[in-house]
Amino acid sequence: MDNDELIAAVAGGDDTALRELFSRHAPWLAARLRAVLPAADVEDVLQETFLAAWRGAARYRMEGAGGWLWGIARRQAALWLRRRGHAELLLPALVAADGRRPADPAEAALSRAELADAVKALGPEGGPQHETWRLMYVEDKTVAEVAELMGVPEGTVKSRAHRVRRLMRAALRRHEPAGDGGGR
Amino acid sequence: MNIEITDVTRRFGRTKAVAGVSMEAGSGVFGLLGPNGAGKTSLLRMMATVIPPTSGTLRLLGRDPGGYGPRKEIRRRLGYLPQNLGYYPGFTVVEFVEYFALLKEMPAARVPAAVAAAVERVGLGSKAKAKLRTLSGGMLRRAGIAQAIVNEPELLLLDEPTAGLDPEQRVTFRELMRDFGQRSTVIVSTHLVEDVGAACSQVALMDQGKIVFYGTPDELTARGEGTSAAGDAPLERGYSAVLAAARSVTAARA
Amino acid sequence: MTGGDEMTGGREDLAEPGPGPRDVDLSRVWLGVAAEVWRRRPGPLERLAGWLLRSPGLARALVTTPSLLLGWIIATVIVLGAGILATLGTGTPFVALVAPAVAAAGIAYAYGPGIDPAWELSCSMAVSDRMVLLTRALAVFGLNAALGLAASAATGTAASVTFGWLVPMTAVCALALAAATVARSANVGVAAGIAGWAITVLSGQVAAGRLTAAVTDSALILPYLAFAAICGVITWYASRIRRGTP
Repeated sequence: MDNDELIAAVAGGDDTALRELFSRHAPWLAARLRAVLPAADVEDVLQETFLAAWRGAARYRMEGAGGWLWGIARRQAALWLRRRGHAELLLPALVAADGRRPADPAEAALSRAELADAVKALGPEGGPQHETWRLMYVEDKTVAEVAELMGVPEGTVKSRAHRVRRLMRAALRRHEPAGDGGGR
Repeated sequence: MNIEITDVTRRFGRTKAVAGVSMEAGSGVFGLLGPNGAGKTSLLRMMATVIPPTSGTLRLLGRDPGGYGPRKEIRRRLGYLPQNLGYYPGFTVVEFVEYFALLKEMPAARVPAAVAAAVERVGLGSKAKAKLRTLSGGMLRRAGIAQAIVNEPELLLLDEPTAGLDPEQRVTFRELMRDFGQRSTVIVSTHLVEDVGAACSQVALMDQGKIVFYGTPDELTARGEGTSAAGDAPLERGYSAVLAAARSVTAARA
Repeated sequence: MTGGDEMTGGREDLAEPGPGPRDVDLSRVWLGVAAEVWRRRPGPLERLAGWLLRSPGLARALVTTPSLLLGWIIATVIVLGAGILATLGTGTPFVALVAPAVAAAGIAYAYGPGIDPAWELSCSMAVSDRMVLLTRALAVFGLNAALGLAASAATGTAASVTFGWLVPMTAVCALALAAATVARSANVGVAAGIAGWAITVLSGQVAAGRLTAAVTDSALILPYLAFAAICGVITWYASRIRRGTP
């Protein structure tokens, strides 16, 4: 059974389909959550995620099982963090390449995880893309300042910045995939 | 000591099914071997408080099952799998296990989690809501094991538990036994000698209502060495040797 | 315990669900999900019975009585047969007095060692098998009485069996269950039920001059029902006290 069929079966009350869905998707969901939460919390959030999936499977609109499940997991994690009072400890929203702005700090923490992943796609620290990204988007320097600091012409900085945006957009889109998430 | 049995007998009419058995057992896995009619099932039924002994004393989990209150306490901490466990065809696996969890007076709030754990433990997770009438014999046996373990019993009594299980399932079952043997007393009555050898720390061999051997599987094996007893495996030879010796003694006495 | 079973391509064993983080116990997570997904939610009757009897196990046994279909059919047939005998009124109290014994034996057989496939196992349960039988007797009579009341609107013969037998016997079973709960002994309950029935039949003879008056007089319906209700209250009260002591 493919994922869409599984979710349809879950919507029909088939608990063995839920079991199969769990065995396919729980590992990568757990890994994603683990980047942001301690292990015990991951277990609780994951449990709530699949219970929410069980109850809400009828609302699935074929948008891709991975994305759907991750969406539920994010909401459950945000709920969890808010309930535990950790929300105020989290950093505010960061820019996402496709302009999405997460609604609350808890979701922002998860965006941080995705962002960290995407930044990895820019290559090693100190490398040209990573450095360009750091100076332009984290330290908020102008093109001229970056060109001077890196000792390259402004045109080079602009084209590197363009490549940085392209790479990050591609990486972030991988996290909210059109097909199945987690590579299964 | 979870089981203390002193000189217990059990009569059915004029037959002595159990003719004077004494044993003690703390935590661990104990095998009860013997041919059909040896009295294993009757002994197990007495330990499960299903029938009282005709004479002798029986103490289970430090209590006397003769009294109403203590018997109830024992039964709450007991897991029993009879040799012929029927099933209610219209029940699902989960309903079946839950039914007996409730009859064992488990606190209702703990029941769903305990049932889920027991069902997954015996490998019936994908059949949890299937009706019992759709299951194979081996699966039904595993459902029976699930109801026996659902209340994490201190005393687990299993009569022919591996009937209908394939070799891989028997391996998993033995792991389950060893797990429980860490903190409970597990008594496995079987005529499959190899089940006993693999999982049990102590073995009792019964014949004609009496215990004719009590020791470790290795000691039982040793009894078969140097004899011409029948059997394909060393443990089987020990088994046959002990039985033959016990019967020749009885014959000599008669 | 995997292997040897058909179905979903080998993913039955959740002990190795794939590469998850090492410190996250996915099996434990699944058990939490399964416990919620698989749990059975008792219906209102079962919850009421559980509260009344202070025993979810006994309530579950009560509610599953009709679904153990073969036993239910046999019990109902015997109960109705005994009822017809009792209401025929042969002129001696013998039949009326013996009929409940026949019915009780029938119920015990239907749900006991003869028919109940899990009887042996039930004998090792903390909720004693005799209490379960007593509860099932109440279920058999109560449900049949309810059906009989409905059928009485249609036919007169149904009315005589209903009012002459089913309803009084429901009251007797309620008395037996109450006594058993108070005395914590099913045997005491049975004795109380028998005594109650014998007294009713014989005093009916004295009161109305007809030996089977207690059985066939439908004017006694309200007293019987009230009596059954009182027994219900006693059962509840006795359970409450009992649970208070360790």
